[in-house]
Amino acid sequence: MVGPTASLSNLSRADGSASFKCPTTGCSVLGSVNAPIELPARRDALKPEEATVEVFVKPGNTTAGVGERYVEGILRTMLQKVILGRERGFARRGVVITLAIIGGDAVERGDSYLTLLPALLQTALLALLSAAVPMSMTFSTALLAVTKSGDIISDPSPVDAKTASSLHVLAFSSKGHLLLNESQGRFDFDTWEFVRERAYSTCRGAVVAGSDGDIAMDEEGEEGRADGFIRETVEDHLHRDYAWKIDSA
Amino acid sequence: MATPAATAAPSVPPSLSLPPSQFARLQPHAYLLAHLCPPSASNQPSIRANGRAPSQFRVTSANAGSLTHTNGSAVVRIGDTAAVCGVRAELLHTEDIASWSVSQASGSNKRRRLADLGGKPSEEEDDEDTEEDRAHIEDLNLLVPNLSLSTGCAPGFIPGAAPSALAQSLSHQILSLLHSTRLVRADDLRVWYQPPNLGPEEPERHNEDEPMDMDAEQSATAEEKPREIKAFWVLYIDIMIISLAGNPFDAAWAAVLAALRDTKLPKAWWDVDNETIVCSDSVADARKLSLRGLPVSSSFGVFEADAAAGWRAHVIPDVTEQEQKGKKGSPERWILADPDGYEEGLIQERASIVVDKEKDGKTTIVRMEKNGGWTVDTEDLRQLVEISGRRWDEMKRILDQC
Repeated sequence: MVGPTASLSNLSRADGSASFKCPTTGCSVLGSVNAPIELPARRDALKPEEATVEVFVKPGNTTAGVGERYVEGILRTMLQKVILGRERGFARRGVVITLAIIGGDAVERGDSYLTLLPALLQTALLALLSAAVPMSMTFSTALLAVTKSGDIISDPSPVDAKTASSLHVLAFSSKGHLLLNESQGRFDFDTWEFVRERAYSTCRGAVVAGSDGDIAMDEEGEEGRADGFIRETVEDHLHRDYAWKIDSA
Repeated sequence: MATPAATAAPSVPPSLSLPPSQFARLQPHAYLLAHLCPPSASNQPSIRANGRAPSQFRVTSANAGSLTHTNGSAVVRIGDTAAVCGVRAELLHTEDIASWSVSQASGSNKRRRLADLGGKPSEEEDDEDTEEDRAHIEDLNLLVPNLSLSTGCAPGFIPGAAPSALAQSLSHQILSLLHSTRLVRADDLRVWYQPPNLGPEEPERHNEDEPMDMDAEQSATAEEKPREIKAFWVLYIDIMIISLAGNPFDAAWAAVLAALRDTKLPKAWWDVDNETIVCSDSVADARKLSLRGLPVSSSFGVFEADAAAGWRAHVIPDVTEQEQKGKKGSPERWILADPDGYEEGLIQERASIVVDKEKDGKTTIVRMEKNGGWTVDTEDLRQLVEISGRRWDEMKRILDQC
């Protein structure tokens, strides 16, 4: 199976940026992060001691509509919890995340954004990492579909997603907490538990955190794991950035 | 009410003591925490500031048929949150649909066969019908919900302003739930026309036919004359939140459900001579929609004892650590059902579950969302699904009465 591809800091003007391409759903997302910036008209912010997180999603072929407002809300509530908005220099400022869907299927009216949500979340995370925004944890996401016959498929193609009896998006933090769950379609709780188990293993592998709080790193075990993918992308980027230093040493 | 305030702020001199309502405004987090976690000295039960138990929903009432100019309407009140929903049906002629003649050519036989069975479609038929339903309702946009918060429902929403991000995302959630639950049957929205069978006198048919077996051919045409769809009903579902005190989605969805159950569509048919659709005036001819199931939504919020838990990096416990704490008793967080406006301001993590029950009492989850935190996991969600199942029974009783 072909894994997703990603690159960091593609845009020179933004504080941080990332692009992400998912081969199974065919969607590619370009994300940029500007943080911390002064937001106009933030004087009456509800929580002045915290940074305001703003997310904008731009679909590929139309202007943003109600569906985008909805997915922006999901991303905002999740990222607000992960970003450390009270760090020095962030209070009363803004973290602005812009995600443009630049490839893949168009989203129809009334469509749940579930098939695109993992790609949007991964791009947002990579862009935040690229902008060096302080975060309490990273996360990884999984998209799963349960077919009419009860099989669980991970990373379903658009056709599979359309015919599936239920669709699930789950996000796990780097410490193994369930951060986000969005499930849609008819299913019962036992099915969901299987889905969760499967999602957990695709996101974090079967590896359990060691006693010292460090995740036991296994080079082969990293293969195909969603959080390993994030780590590798960032490591590659850092390696390239510090090539001059590594070479001279 | 007065005791928690007094216990939580005992050091305040009498001259500066505050009434509970002011304490609630100044220190909302401490106020709610003092209610949920009363000091062990005072023998008070753990209760929310609004007097409800953590898994208790607010008093709900529903009233159907409140608006006279609509095809169906309902007012649902959950505590101080009130939603009015009106359903208006308008006709969409198939000749006005640009791609109709193309899309209709495929699979018209199957559609006719299914429609002919009529009446109450059984379960196995439902599956076959699904694709057709989806194609008609979703592709032709036969359901158009819109939610308005610009009614002066809460101080934060300016009346007459453009729809806020919250209103837009609620509209989308309702539409997406209507689509994914397939609540409305496309067959209820179709206006059919059966062309009369003119028999062997039909000129061009007679000429084109090969003269092989005239009798068989005639009987075949008598049966096989296909019915055609001449129009669709489009349902405009407008929801106004007239008072907002937390949990707008549950109230809005309950109002949509009650209004759709109340909706009556007039009898409509194709008038060949005038080449138009004619509707019957008589109420007796109108028929109700036959909805698929009764999905009921329940929302929950998680109130955390440690207000700083959300932003202090070093207090985030590992999973194992958290489990041990959970076993020690004295929960550090409370899952509050149906949070009101005051509680919503203190809540970051939310869960929303939509369940339906089949005739045998089995609970099916239709949608399950959880976002904004990391404390709720499998065990809690299992409990929430159970609570939602009980809420379903309650809502069914309320909706059946209205």
